[in-house]
Amino acid sequence: MRFKKFIRTYRPFTRAGMLESVAYRANFFCFLIGEIMSCFIMFFVWKAVFQSSNSETFMGFTMEDMVVYLFITFLTGYLTYSDGTYAIATEIRDGSIAMRMIKPCSFDMCFLFQELGNKIINVLFIFAPLVVGVEAYRWYITGACQFDITHFLLYVVSLVLAYLISFYFNVSYGFMAFYLKNLWGADILKECIINFLSGATIPLAFMPEALAKVLNFLPFSSLSYTPVMIYMGMYSGQEIALKILMQVFWLSVMVVLSKVVWNHAVKRLCSQGG
Amino acid sequence: MRRMLRLHRIFVAQYMKNLMEYKVDFLTGAISFLLGQVIQIAFLGIIFSGIPNLVGWEFNEILFIYGFSLIPKGLDHLLFDNLWSVGYFIVRKGDFDKYLTRPINSLFYVICEKFCVDAFGELLIGLILMVYSMIQLKLTITWYMIPLFIVAVVFATLIYTAIKIATSAISFWTKASGHITHMFYMTNDFSKYPTTIYNKFVRTFITYIVPFAFTAFYPASYFLTGENPLFCIGGTVIASVVLFMISVFIWNKGIKAYESAGS
Repeated sequence: MRFKKFIRTYRPFTRAGMLESVAYRANFFCFLIGEIMSCFIMFFVWKAVFQSSNSETFMGFTMEDMVVYLFITFLTGYLTYSDGTYAIATEIRDGSIAMRMIKPCSFDMCFLFQELGNKIINVLFIFAPLVVGVEAYRWYITGACQFDITHFLLYVVSLVLAYLISFYFNVSYGFMAFYLKNLWGADILKECIINFLSGATIPLAFMPEALAKVLNFLPFSSLSYTPVMIYMGMYSGQEIALKILMQVFWLSVMVVLSKVVWNHAVKRLCSQGG
Repeated sequence: MRRMLRLHRIFVAQYMKNLMEYKVDFLTGAISFLLGQVIQIAFLGIIFSGIPNLVGWEFNEILFIYGFSLIPKGLDHLLFDNLWSVGYFIVRKGDFDKYLTRPINSLFYVICEKFCVDAFGELLIGLILMVYSMIQLKLTITWYMIPLFIVAVVFATLIYTAIKIATSAISFWTKASGHITHMFYMTNDFSKYPTTIYNKFVRTFITYIVPFAFTAFYPASYFLTGENPLFCIGGTVIASVVLFMISVFIWNKGIKAYESAGS
Protein backbone atom coordinates (compact mmCIF):
# COMPACT_ATOMS: atom_id res chain seq x y z
CA MET A 1 0.00 0.00 0.00
CA ARG A 2 2.72 2.40 0.96
CA PHE A 3 4.72 1.33 -2.04
CA LYS A 4 1.78 2.06 -4.33
CA LYS A 5 1.41 5.51 -2.88
CA PHE A 6 5.12 6.06 -3.29
CA ILE A 7 4.98 5.19 -6.98
CA ARG A 8 1.88 7.32 -7.48
CA THR A 9 3.57 10.31 -5.90
CA TYR A 10 6.76 10.18 -7.92
CA ARG A 11 5.68 8.82 -11.31
CA PRO A 12 4.73 12.27 -12.63
CA PHE A 13 8.29 13.44 -11.99
CA THR A 14 9.68 10.66 -14.17
CA ARG A 15 7.20 11.56 -16.88
CA ALA A 16 8.22 15.20 -16.70
CA GLY A 17 11.88 14.22 -16.96
CA MET A 18 11.19 12.12 -20.06
CA LEU A 19 9.20 14.87 -21.73
CA GLU A 20 11.91 17.37 -20.91
CA SER A 21 14.65 15.41 -22.61
CA VAL A 22 12.52 14.57 -25.64
CA ALA A 23 11.56 18.21 -26.07
CA TYR A 24 15.09 19.19 -26.98
CA ARG A 25 16.08 16.19 -29.09
CA ALA A 26 18.06 18.13 -31.70
CA ASN A 27 20.14 19.72 -28.94
CA PHE A 28 20.59 16.36 -27.33
CA PHE A 29 22.01 14.79 -30.49
CA CYS A 30 24.30 17.70 -31.29
CA PHE A 31 25.63 17.58 -27.75
CA LEU A 32 26.14 13.84 -28.00
CA ILE A 33 28.05 14.07 -31.28
CA GLY A 34 30.31 16.73 -29.77
CA GLU A 35 31.02 14.57 -26.74
CA ILE A 36 31.57 11.34 -28.62
CA MET A 37 34.09 13.11 -30.84
CA SER A 38 36.63 13.04 -28.00
CA CYS A 39 36.31 9.23 -27.92
CA PHE A 40 37.24 9.11 -31.58
CA ILE A 41 40.22 11.40 -31.04
CA MET A 42 41.49 9.06 -28.35
CA PHE A 43 40.78 6.11 -30.64
CA PHE A 44 43.14 7.55 -33.25
CA VAL A 45 45.72 8.44 -30.61
CA TRP A 46 45.71 4.88 -29.31
CA LYS A 47 45.91 3.50 -32.83
CA ALA A 48 49.03 5.59 -33.38
CA VAL A 49 50.42 4.48 -30.01
CA PHE A 50 50.04 0.81 -30.90
CA GLN A 51 51.54 1.47 -34.33
CA SER A 52 54.57 3.15 -32.76
CA SER A 53 55.06 0.56 -30.06
CA ASN A 54 56.84 -2.72 -30.72
CA SER A 55 54.57 -4.93 -28.66
CA GLU A 56 50.97 -6.00 -29.04
CA THR A 57 50.01 -4.74 -25.60
CA PHE A 58 50.40 -1.49 -23.77
CA MET A 59 50.64 -1.95 -19.98
CA GLY A 60 48.53 -5.07 -20.28
CA PHE A 61 45.89 -3.61 -22.62
CA THR A 62 45.54 -4.63 -26.25
CA MET A 63 44.22 -2.19 -28.86
CA GLU A 64 40.89 -3.97 -28.75
CA ASP A 65 40.75 -3.63 -24.93
CA MET A 66 41.55 0.06 -25.25
CA VAL A 67 38.68 0.67 -27.67
CA VAL A 68 36.23 -1.12 -25.40
CA TYR A 69 37.59 0.83 -22.45
CA LEU A 70 37.21 4.18 -24.22
CA PHE A 71 33.66 3.73 -25.40
CA ILE A 72 32.30 1.89 -22.37
CA THR A 73 33.87 4.52 -20.09
CA PHE A 74 32.14 7.19 -22.15
CA LEU A 75 28.83 5.33 -21.91
CA THR A 76 29.20 4.77 -18.17
CA GLY A 77 30.14 8.38 -17.58
CA TYR A 78 27.19 9.55 -19.61
CA LEU A 79 24.66 7.34 -17.89
CA THR A 80 25.92 7.91 -14.36
CA TYR A 81 26.15 11.65 -14.84
CA SER A 82 23.90 13.44 -12.41
CA ASP A 83 22.78 17.01 -12.73
CA GLY A 84 21.92 17.30 -9.03
CA THR A 85 24.65 19.79 -8.13
CA TYR A 86 23.72 22.24 -10.82
CA ALA A 87 19.96 21.90 -10.35
CA ILE A 88 20.16 22.40 -6.59
CA ALA A 89 22.61 25.28 -6.85
CA THR A 90 20.35 27.04 -9.34
CA GLU A 91 17.30 26.58 -7.14
CA ILE A 92 19.18 27.94 -4.15
CA ARG A 93 20.37 30.92 -6.14
CA ASP A 94 17.00 31.93 -7.49
CA GLY A 95 15.11 30.93 -4.37
CA SER A 96 12.77 28.38 -5.96
CA ILE A 97 14.05 25.81 -3.45
CA ALA A 98 11.54 27.26 -1.00
CA MET A 99 8.73 25.97 -3.23
CA ARG A 100 10.13 22.46 -3.11
CA MET A 101 10.34 22.51 0.66
CA ILE A 102 6.66 23.18 1.15
CA LYS A 103 5.57 20.28 -1.07
CA PRO A 104 4.56 16.99 0.53
CA CYS A 105 7.29 14.96 -1.09
CA SER A 106 10.87 14.21 -0.29
CA PHE A 107 13.40 16.60 -1.74
CA ASP A 108 15.93 14.10 -3.08
CA MET A 109 13.30 11.69 -4.38
CA CYS A 110 11.80 14.41 -6.60
CA PHE A 111 15.16 14.97 -8.20
CA LEU A 112 15.92 11.28 -8.47
CA PHE A 113 12.69 10.40 -10.23
CA GLN A 114 12.90 13.37 -12.54
CA GLU A 115 16.38 12.39 -13.59
CA LEU A 116 15.27 8.80 -14.00
CA GLY A 117 12.93 9.90 -16.77
CA ASN A 118 15.84 11.56 -18.47
CA LYS A 119 17.95 8.40 -18.08
CA ILE A 120 15.27 6.18 -19.63
CA ILE A 121 15.48 8.26 -22.81
CA ASN A 122 19.28 8.15 -22.73
CA VAL A 123 19.31 4.39 -22.38
CA LEU A 124 16.98 4.03 -25.37
CA PHE A 125 19.08 6.23 -27.64
CA ILE A 126 22.67 5.65 -26.56
CA PHE A 127 23.05 2.45 -24.62
CA ALA A 128 22.03 -0.04 -27.30
CA PRO A 129 23.84 1.62 -30.25
CA LEU A 130 27.10 1.98 -28.33
CA VAL A 131 27.13 -1.53 -26.92
CA VAL A 132 26.25 -3.02 -30.32
CA GLY A 133 28.93 -0.87 -31.97
CA VAL A 134 31.61 -1.90 -29.52
CA GLU A 135 30.71 -5.57 -29.79
CA ALA A 136 30.63 -5.40 -33.59
CA TYR A 137 34.10 -3.88 -33.53
CA ARG A 138 35.38 -6.61 -31.23
CA TRP A 139 33.85 -9.28 -33.45
CA TYR A 140 35.42 -7.73 -36.53
CA ILE A 141 38.89 -7.50 -34.96
CA THR A 142 39.07 -10.85 -33.22
CA GLY A 143 36.91 -12.85 -35.59
CA ALA A 144 34.70 -14.22 -32.81
CA CYS A 145 31.85 -12.92 -30.71
CA GLN A 146 33.25 -11.63 -27.41
CA PHE A 147 29.94 -10.71 -25.85
CA ASP A 148 29.50 -12.26 -22.41
CA ILE A 149 25.98 -12.12 -21.04
CA THR A 150 26.94 -12.63 -17.35
CA HIS A 151 29.48 -9.86 -17.46
CA PHE A 152 26.98 -7.67 -19.25
CA LEU A 153 24.28 -8.23 -16.63
CA LEU A 154 26.72 -7.65 -13.78
CA TYR A 155 27.81 -4.50 -15.58
CA VAL A 156 24.21 -3.27 -15.59
CA VAL A 157 23.91 -3.93 -11.83
CA SER A 158 27.17 -2.12 -11.19
CA LEU A 159 26.11 0.72 -13.49
CA VAL A 160 22.87 1.29 -11.56
CA LEU A 161 24.81 1.36 -8.28
CA ALA A 162 27.32 3.75 -9.81
CA TYR A 163 24.51 6.06 -10.90
CA LEU A 164 22.99 6.09 -7.41
CA ILE A 165 26.37 6.84 -5.82
CA SER A 166 26.87 9.66 -8.32
CA PHE A 167 23.38 10.99 -7.63
CA TYR A 168 23.77 11.14 -3.85
CA PHE A 169 27.27 12.50 -4.15
CA ASN A 170 25.99 15.28 -6.40
CA VAL A 171 23.10 16.06 -4.08
CA SER A 172 25.47 16.39 -1.14
CA TYR A 173 27.77 18.52 -3.21
CA GLY A 174 24.90 20.68 -4.44
CA PHE A 175 23.95 21.47 -0.84
CA MET A 176 27.29 23.21 -0.55
CA ALA A 177 25.63 26.01 -2.47
CA PHE A 178 23.82 26.74 0.79
CA TYR A 179 27.18 27.91 2.07
CA LEU A 180 28.93 29.13 -1.07
CA LYS A 181 25.93 30.69 -2.86
CA ASN A 182 27.48 30.14 -6.29
CA LEU A 183 28.79 26.82 -7.49
CA TRP A 184 30.32 27.54 -10.88
CA GLY A 185 33.94 27.06 -9.81
CA ALA A 186 33.23 24.28 -7.37
CA ASP A 187 31.40 22.41 -10.14
CA ILE A 188 34.43 22.54 -12.44
CA LEU A 189 36.59 21.32 -9.58
CA LYS A 190 34.23 18.41 -8.99
CA GLU A 191 34.24 17.33 -12.65
CA CYS A 192 38.00 17.53 -12.81
CA ILE A 193 38.59 15.57 -9.62
CA ILE A 194 36.04 12.92 -10.46
CA ASN A 195 37.39 12.41 -13.98
CA PHE A 196 40.86 11.88 -12.59
CA LEU A 197 40.11 9.85 -9.46
CA SER A 198 37.54 7.61 -11.12
CA GLY A 199 39.99 6.48 -13.77
CA ALA A 200 37.92 7.98 -16.59
CA THR A 201 40.81 10.04 -18.00
CA ILE A 202 43.66 7.68 -17.20
CA PRO A 203 42.89 3.99 -16.54
CA LEU A 204 43.87 3.20 -12.95
CA ALA A 205 45.98 0.32 -14.23
CA PHE A 206 48.32 2.86 -15.88
CA MET A 207 48.97 4.76 -12.68
CA PRO A 208 51.80 4.11 -10.20
CA GLU A 209 50.87 1.07 -8.16
CA ALA A 210 50.58 2.79 -4.78
CA LEU A 211 48.32 5.51 -6.17
CA ALA A 212 46.16 2.98 -8.01
CA LYS A 213 45.70 1.04 -4.75
CA VAL A 214 44.47 4.11 -2.91
CA LEU A 215 42.19 5.19 -5.74
CA ASN A 216 40.72 1.72 -5.98
CA PHE A 217 39.58 2.04 -2.41
CA LEU A 218 38.10 5.55 -2.70
CA PRO A 219 34.45 5.97 -3.74
CA PHE A 220 35.37 7.48 -7.12
CA SER A 221 36.53 4.25 -8.70
CA SER A 222 33.04 2.89 -8.00
CA LEU A 223 31.66 5.53 -10.34
CA SER A 224 33.28 4.44 -13.56
CA TYR A 225 36.23 2.09 -13.27
CA THR A 226 34.43 -0.76 -11.50
CA PRO A 227 31.56 -1.13 -13.98
CA VAL A 228 33.88 -0.79 -16.97
CA MET A 229 36.30 -3.42 -15.70
CA ILE A 230 33.39 -5.76 -15.03
CA TYR A 231 32.16 -5.27 -18.59
CA MET A 232 35.60 -6.01 -19.97
CA GLY A 233 35.87 -9.18 -17.92
CA MET A 234 39.01 -7.99 -16.15
CA TYR A 235 37.82 -9.20 -12.73
CA SER A 236 37.36 -12.73 -11.45
CA GLY A 237 34.07 -13.80 -9.84
CA GLN A 238 35.36 -13.15 -6.34
CA GLU A 239 36.71 -9.73 -7.25
CA ILE A 240 33.39 -8.76 -8.84
CA ALA A 241 31.52 -9.67 -5.64
CA LEU A 242 33.98 -7.63 -3.59
CA LYS A 243 33.78 -4.62 -5.90
CA ILE A 244 29.98 -4.60 -5.94
CA LEU A 245 29.90 -4.86 -2.15
CA MET A 246 32.19 -1.88 -2.04
CA GLN A 247 29.81 0.03 -4.28
CA VAL A 248 26.94 -0.79 -1.92
CA PHE A 249 29.06 0.41 0.99
CA TRP A 250 29.85 3.73 -0.69
CA LEU A 251 26.25 4.17 -1.73
CA SER A 252 25.09 3.92 1.88
CA VAL A 253 27.80 6.35 2.96
CA MET A 254 26.65 8.86 0.34
CA VAL A 255 22.97 8.50 1.28
CA VAL A 256 23.74 9.15 4.95
CA LEU A 257 26.03 12.03 4.04
CA SER A 258 23.36 13.70 1.92
CA LYS A 259 20.84 13.46 4.77
CA VAL A 260 23.27 14.92 7.29
CA VAL A 261 24.25 17.79 5.02
CA TRP A 262 20.62 18.50 4.16
CA ASN A 263 19.56 18.62 7.81
CA HIS A 264 22.40 20.93 8.65
CA ALA A 265 22.10 23.14 5.58
CA VAL A 266 18.37 23.69 5.74
CA LYS A 267 18.79 25.48 9.06
CA ARG A 268 20.80 28.20 7.45
CA LEU A 269 18.85 28.47 4.24
CA CYS A 270 18.93 32.00 2.99
CA SER A 271 17.69 32.10 -0.56
CA GLN A 272 18.76 34.88 -2.83
CA GLY A 273 15.75 36.57 -4.35
CA GLY A 274 12.72 34.58 -5.48
CA MET B 1 37.95 52.49 -33.68
CA ARG B 2 39.01 54.60 -30.69
CA ARG B 3 35.44 54.76 -29.55
CA MET B 4 35.21 50.99 -29.79
CA LEU B 5 38.34 50.49 -27.70
CA ARG B 6 37.06 52.88 -25.05
CA LEU B 7 33.72 51.09 -24.92
CA HIS B 8 35.53 47.78 -24.67
CA ARG B 9 37.43 49.01 -21.60
CA ILE B 10 34.23 50.10 -19.90
CA PHE B 11 32.55 46.78 -20.58
CA VAL B 12 35.53 44.84 -19.23
CA ALA B 13 35.54 46.89 -16.04
CA GLN B 14 31.82 46.23 -15.54
CA TYR B 15 32.30 42.54 -16.07
CA MET B 16 35.16 42.35 -13.58
CA LYS B 17 32.96 43.89 -10.89
CA ASN B 18 30.36 41.24 -11.60
CA LEU B 19 32.99 38.53 -11.26
CA MET B 20 34.43 39.79 -8.00
CA GLU B 21 31.05 39.23 -6.39
CA TYR B 22 31.93 35.57 -6.03
CA LYS B 23 35.70 35.62 -5.54
CA VAL B 24 36.25 32.22 -3.94
CA ASP B 25 34.13 30.60 -6.58
CA PHE B 26 36.11 32.21 -9.35
CA LEU B 27 39.45 31.16 -7.88
CA THR B 28 38.27 27.58 -7.44
CA GLY B 29 37.25 27.51 -11.08
CA ALA B 30 40.57 28.86 -12.29
CA ILE B 31 42.61 26.43 -10.18
CA SER B 32 40.48 23.46 -11.25
CA PHE B 33 41.06 24.36 -14.84
CA LEU B 34 44.82 24.32 -14.34
CA LEU B 35 44.51 20.99 -12.57
CA GLY B 36 42.58 19.54 -15.51
CA GLN B 37 45.33 20.55 -17.92
CA VAL B 38 48.02 19.07 -15.68
CA ILE B 39 46.15 15.75 -15.67
CA GLN B 40 45.92 15.78 -19.47
CA ILE B 41 49.65 16.34 -19.74
CA ALA B 42 50.37 13.63 -17.19
CA PHE B 43 48.34 11.32 -19.41
CA LEU B 44 50.50 12.20 -22.41
CA GLY B 45 53.54 11.49 -20.23
CA ILE B 46 52.21 8.05 -19.34
CA ILE B 47 51.57 7.22 -22.99
CA PHE B 48 55.08 8.26 -23.96
CA SER B 49 56.67 6.24 -21.16
CA GLY B 50 55.69 3.15 -23.18
CA ILE B 51 56.70 4.25 -26.68
CA PRO B 52 59.77 6.02 -28.14
CA ASN B 53 57.73 8.33 -30.39
CA LEU B 54 54.23 8.80 -31.74
CA VAL B 55 54.28 8.20 -35.52
CA GLY B 56 57.63 9.99 -35.69
CA TRP B 57 56.89 12.82 -33.25
CA GLU B 58 58.65 12.77 -29.94
CA PHE B 59 57.19 13.77 -26.58
CA ASN B 60 58.49 17.34 -26.54
CA GLU B 61 57.23 18.00 -30.04
CA ILE B 62 53.75 16.81 -29.05
CA LEU B 63 53.96 19.07 -25.98
CA PHE B 64 54.81 22.00 -28.25
CA ILE B 65 51.81 21.33 -30.51
CA TYR B 66 49.59 20.91 -27.45
CA GLY B 67 50.86 24.16 -25.94
CA PHE B 68 50.44 26.01 -29.21
CA SER B 69 46.84 24.83 -29.50
CA LEU B 70 46.02 26.45 -26.16
CA ILE B 71 47.11 29.95 -27.23
CA PRO B 72 44.50 30.73 -29.92
CA LYS B 73 41.91 28.81 -27.94
CA GLY B 74 42.69 30.88 -24.86
CA LEU B 75 42.65 34.19 -26.74
CA ASP B 76 39.28 33.39 -28.25
CA HIS B 77 38.02 32.36 -24.83
CA LEU B 78 39.35 35.56 -23.26
CA LEU B 79 37.82 37.99 -25.75
CA PHE B 80 34.88 36.38 -27.52
CA ASP B 81 33.26 34.09 -24.98
CA ASN B 82 29.89 35.84 -24.93
CA LEU B 83 29.03 34.33 -28.33
CA TRP B 84 28.20 31.12 -26.49
CA SER B 85 25.41 32.88 -24.60
CA VAL B 86 23.83 34.07 -27.86
CA GLY B 87 23.26 30.50 -28.97
CA TYR B 88 22.40 29.15 -25.56
CA PHE B 89 19.96 31.69 -24.14
CA ILE B 90 20.19 35.35 -25.23
CA VAL B 91 18.08 34.82 -28.35
CA ARG B 92 15.79 32.25 -26.78
CA LYS B 93 14.91 34.54 -23.89
CA GLY B 94 14.29 37.47 -26.21
CA ASP B 95 17.19 39.44 -24.73
CA PHE B 96 18.80 40.04 -28.09
CA ASP B 97 16.62 43.12 -28.72
CA LYS B 98 18.93 45.00 -26.38
CA TYR B 99 21.86 44.60 -28.77
CA LEU B 100 19.90 45.81 -31.77
CA THR B 101 18.59 48.98 -30.18
CA ARG B 102 21.99 50.41 -29.17
CA PRO B 103 24.00 52.63 -31.50
CA ILE B 104 26.88 50.20 -31.92
CA ASN B 105 27.42 47.21 -34.15
CA SER B 106 25.53 44.25 -32.67
CA LEU B 107 28.34 41.75 -33.20
CA PHE B 108 30.86 44.05 -31.55
CA TYR B 109 28.53 44.72 -28.62
CA VAL B 110 27.89 41.02 -27.98
CA ILE B 111 31.57 40.22 -28.18
CA CYS B 112 32.87 42.85 -25.79
CA GLU B 113 30.22 42.47 -23.12
CA LYS B 114 32.19 39.70 -21.47
CA PHE B 115 35.88 39.33 -20.70
CA CYS B 116 36.75 35.86 -19.53
CA VAL B 117 39.67 36.17 -17.16
CA ASP B 118 39.72 32.42 -16.55
CA ALA B 119 41.24 32.10 -20.04
CA PHE B 120 44.55 33.27 -18.55
CA GLY B 121 44.89 29.70 -17.27
CA GLU B 122 44.88 28.36 -20.83
CA LEU B 123 47.30 31.02 -22.03
CA LEU B 124 49.66 30.46 -19.13
CA ILE B 125 49.78 26.68 -19.53
CA GLY B 126 50.18 27.06 -23.29
CA LEU B 127 53.14 29.40 -22.89
CA ILE B 128 54.81 27.24 -20.24
CA LEU B 129 54.47 24.14 -22.41
CA MET B 130 55.84 25.89 -25.49
CA VAL B 131 58.81 27.42 -23.71
CA TYR B 132 59.60 24.18 -21.87
CA SER B 133 59.45 22.04 -25.00
CA MET B 134 61.48 24.56 -27.00
CA ILE B 135 64.25 24.41 -24.42
CA GLN B 136 64.14 20.63 -24.36
CA LEU B 137 64.25 20.43 -28.15
CA LYS B 138 66.94 23.15 -28.37
CA LEU B 139 64.94 24.89 -31.09
CA THR B 140 66.72 27.81 -32.73
CA ILE B 141 64.59 30.88 -33.17
CA THR B 142 65.30 33.10 -36.13
CA TRP B 143 64.08 36.71 -36.10
CA TYR B 144 61.39 36.26 -38.74
CA MET B 145 59.74 33.50 -36.74
CA ILE B 146 58.42 36.00 -34.21
CA PRO B 147 56.22 38.01 -36.60
CA LEU B 148 55.18 34.73 -38.25
CA PHE B 149 54.18 33.39 -34.84
CA ILE B 150 52.08 36.46 -34.10
CA VAL B 151 50.39 36.23 -37.51
CA ALA B 152 49.68 32.53 -37.01
CA VAL B 153 48.21 33.06 -33.55
CA VAL B 154 46.00 36.00 -34.56
CA PHE B 155 44.53 34.21 -37.56
CA ALA B 156 44.18 30.94 -35.69
CA THR B 157 42.17 32.76 -33.02
CA LEU B 158 39.98 34.15 -35.77
CA ILE B 159 39.18 30.59 -36.91
CA TYR B 160 37.73 29.83 -33.48
CA THR B 161 35.80 33.07 -33.40
CA ALA B 162 34.47 32.67 -36.93
CA ILE B 163 33.13 29.20 -36.16
CA LYS B 164 31.42 30.53 -33.04
CA ILE B 165 29.93 33.50 -34.91
CA ALA B 166 28.56 31.35 -37.72
CA THR B 167 27.08 28.69 -35.47
CA SER B 168 25.58 31.06 -32.92
CA ALA B 169 24.01 33.08 -35.75
CA ILE B 170 21.95 29.98 -36.54
CA SER B 171 19.95 30.81 -33.41
CA PHE B 172 18.48 33.85 -35.20
CA TRP B 173 16.46 31.36 -37.21
CA THR B 174 16.08 28.51 -34.73
CA LYS B 175 16.04 30.47 -31.42
CA ALA B 176 18.74 28.27 -29.85
CA SER B 177 21.93 26.86 -31.33
CA GLY B 178 24.32 26.51 -28.41
CA HIS B 179 24.55 22.79 -28.95
CA ILE B 180 25.48 23.24 -32.59
CA THR B 181 28.29 25.54 -31.51
CA HIS B 182 29.34 22.93 -28.97
CA MET B 183 29.40 20.23 -31.63
CA PHE B 184 31.65 22.21 -33.96
CA TYR B 185 33.78 23.62 -31.17
CA MET B 186 34.62 20.16 -29.82
CA THR B 187 36.31 19.38 -33.16
CA ASN B 188 39.19 21.60 -32.02
CA ASP B 189 40.55 18.77 -29.87
CA PHE B 190 41.54 16.98 -33.08
CA SER B 191 44.13 19.68 -33.70
CA LYS B 192 46.15 18.88 -30.58
CA TYR B 193 47.73 15.85 -32.25
CA PRO B 194 49.57 15.42 -35.56
CA THR B 195 47.06 15.05 -38.38
CA THR B 196 49.01 12.05 -39.63
CA ILE B 197 47.45 9.86 -36.93
CA TYR B 198 43.95 10.28 -38.39
CA ASN B 199 42.40 8.56 -41.37
CA LYS B 200 41.86 10.40 -44.63
CA PHE B 201 38.29 11.43 -43.89
CA VAL B 202 39.10 13.10 -40.57
CA ARG B 203 42.18 14.74 -42.03
CA THR B 204 40.22 16.27 -44.92
CA PHE B 205 37.48 17.34 -42.55
CA ILE B 206 39.72 19.24 -40.11
CA THR B 207 41.81 20.76 -42.90
CA TYR B 208 39.24 21.92 -45.43
CA ILE B 209 35.78 21.83 -43.85
CA VAL B 210 36.15 22.87 -40.21
CA PRO B 211 39.79 23.98 -40.49
CA PHE B 212 40.79 23.51 -36.87
CA ALA B 213 44.00 21.77 -37.97
CA PHE B 214 45.22 25.27 -38.87
CA THR B 215 44.78 26.45 -35.29
CA ALA B 216 47.50 24.21 -33.94
CA PHE B 217 49.11 21.33 -35.79
CA TYR B 218 49.94 23.00 -39.13
CA PRO B 219 51.43 26.25 -37.78
CA ALA B 220 53.14 24.44 -34.88
CA SER B 221 54.68 21.91 -37.25
CA TYR B 222 56.20 24.76 -39.24
CA PHE B 223 57.88 26.16 -36.14
CA LEU B 224 59.14 22.69 -35.26
CA THR B 225 60.45 21.60 -38.64
CA GLY B 226 60.74 24.79 -40.71
CA GLU B 227 59.08 23.00 -43.62
CA ASN B 228 56.11 24.09 -45.76
CA PRO B 229 55.78 27.68 -44.52
CA LEU B 230 53.46 28.55 -47.40
CA PHE B 231 50.91 25.88 -46.55
CA CYS B 232 51.28 26.02 -42.77
CA ILE B 233 51.17 29.78 -42.19
CA GLY B 234 49.63 30.93 -45.47
CA GLY B 235 46.96 28.27 -45.14
CA THR B 236 46.10 29.51 -41.66
CA VAL B 237 45.65 33.06 -42.94
CA ILE B 238 43.54 32.05 -45.93
CA ALA B 239 41.38 29.56 -44.02
CA SER B 240 40.67 32.07 -41.30
CA VAL B 241 39.91 35.02 -43.59
CA VAL B 242 37.56 32.96 -45.76
CA LEU B 243 35.81 31.48 -42.74
CA PHE B 244 35.49 34.84 -41.03
CA MET B 245 33.94 36.43 -44.10
CA ILE B 246 31.42 33.62 -44.40
CA SER B 247 30.54 33.86 -40.72
CA VAL B 248 29.99 37.64 -40.77
CA PHE B 249 27.80 37.14 -43.84
CA ILE B 250 25.72 34.55 -41.98
CA TRP B 251 25.51 36.79 -38.92
CA ASN B 252 24.23 39.74 -40.97
CA LYS B 253 21.70 37.55 -42.77
CA GLY B 254 20.62 36.25 -39.39
CA ILE B 255 20.11 39.71 -37.94
CA LYS B 256 17.76 40.48 -40.84
CA ALA B 257 15.79 37.29 -40.21
CA TYR B 258 15.69 37.79 -36.45
CA GLU B 259 12.33 38.04 -34.79
CA SER B 260 12.24 38.66 -31.09
CA ALA B 261 11.30 35.63 -29.03
CA GLY B 262 9.25 37.85 -26.72
CA SER B 263 8.15 36.61 -23.35
